[in-house]
Amino acid sequence: MIKTFGYIFWAFLLVFLSACERKPVVYHEQLLVFGTVVDVKLWGVKETPGQQATARLADDFAYMHNAWHAWQPGPLGRVNQLLASGESFTMPPSILPLIQRSSKLSLSSNGLFNPAIGKLTAIWGFASDDPPKGPPPSAEAIRAILDQQPNMKDIRLNGLTMQSNNPALKLDFGAFAKGYAVDRAIEMLREMGINNAVINAGGDLRAIGRHGDRPWRVGIRHPRKAGILASVEVEGDESVFTSGDYERYFDWQGTRYDHIIDPRNGYPAQGLSSVTVFARQADLADAAATALFVAGPDEKNWLPIARAMGVTGVMLVDKDGQVQLTPSIRGRIYFIPPDGNTEENNTEQTSPGIHISTAL
Amino acid sequence: MSQIKLNRGDAVIWLLAAILLVGLYAVFWRVDGHGAEAVVLVNGKRWARLDLFQDQNLDVPGPLGHSHIQVRDGRVRFVNSPCPNKLCIHTGWLSQGGEVAICLPNKVSLQILASDPRFDTINF
Repeated sequence: MIKTFGYIFWAFLLVFLSACERKPVVYHEQLLVFGTVVDVKLWGVKETPGQQATARLADDFAYMHNAWHAWQPGPLGRVNQLLASGESFTMPPSILPLIQRSSKLSLSSNGLFNPAIGKLTAIWGFASDDPPKGPPPSAEAIRAILDQQPNMKDIRLNGLTMQSNNPALKLDFGAFAKGYAVDRAIEMLREMGINNAVINAGGDLRAIGRHGDRPWRVGIRHPRKAGILASVEVEGDESVFTSGDYERYFDWQGTRYDHIIDPRNGYPAQGLSSVTVFARQADLADAAATALFVAGPDEKNWLPIARAMGVTGVMLVDKDGQVQLTPSIRGRIYFIPPDGNTEENNTEQTSPGIHISTAL
Repeated sequence: MSQIKLNRGDAVIWLLAAILLVGLYAVFWRVDGHGAEAVVLVNGKRWARLDLFQDQNLDVPGPLGHSHIQVRDGRVRFVNSPCPNKLCIHTGWLSQGGEVAICLPNKVSLQILASDPRFDTINF
């Protein structure tokens, strides 16, 4: 009898202990900074160091938000005023790396990512906390800015001294500053010895390391419906940035005008619902998502830009819901059918409109 | 096989072992009620942790004033908030793990905690 008792005891012990792995520790905090919600997850970090780390991130995000904001008064606002004067002046040191990095990205995007078109963004009403209500600006007003072709090459740099001869130039880092800030935040975490983390700034993220014994699981939201379009696993070091026409827009007389302005014609870029870019650097992913959104759904247009920017992981969703994927993403992404299952065996056949682009 | 007799002392040991085992199970393997807890953040700092099966109303102080949060039957929502567009109120009831409602102007956010959400993070 005692033997049976003993067997039962050991059986119980085995069953319970075999499942007795320590629960993975994720320190999770949401920061209301940078004009959005920044969601921070740190794997394997305890409460106190987690709080210390996120407090430092919050301070840094608040500083960067103030320094680089395109329409609130601050360092970038002053730079724009001085640029308009045509005189040479000394810029705040925090602005210099943004100008250098974004100029490089603008060049490689063939000007489709152009942080010098702040005036166009402004006349469309997107340089504001509230979404615009319309009407769209007049063709003349758009033409007046376009004719002067503002671009980053108009800026002359000499140390911290800068000057521009183009009165139409106005800096707006809206398509870039968030990525740049996420990169700085990841750098800061690494300096603090945190190597497994996700920083998600209002939907755009960079993930490093792993979630314990598995990669980080990222859901990509559907650009047209509520819910998740696809899931992808991320580990090591990768950023996932999406530019979509649903983020900021206004409808005017049956037409949707989104916030991504095509620098070539001065109008909101048409043709795509969203572009998701996978790249190591968040600032590159951010700028490339904008540039490819502007390039549009035709592979002949977006593929060369992606190549020039050094981006191999791209997913485009056009206005009809047709999806284009680059090969490096194809094997990693799982489309989630409308019933919400994340079955791994669902392939292109069950997901309507998947088109695989040519080699990149 | 020899039959070992169970004397009183053995029985006590076995009983204690069994109690210990059950106790350990209860302490370390307490099943987290899926989505049964929510966290309220003010200015990104944890302000309260809510048991969603304890009905209550809360006044959460933010920079613009008080945001009113209501907990009922495992769900939670913003009832009122001193913000211009009332996006937080329009979000409605939250009950699923990971769901979030945010009042950005008043810097108050509300999120359902979950032990195993499908995704660690959402890209949009």
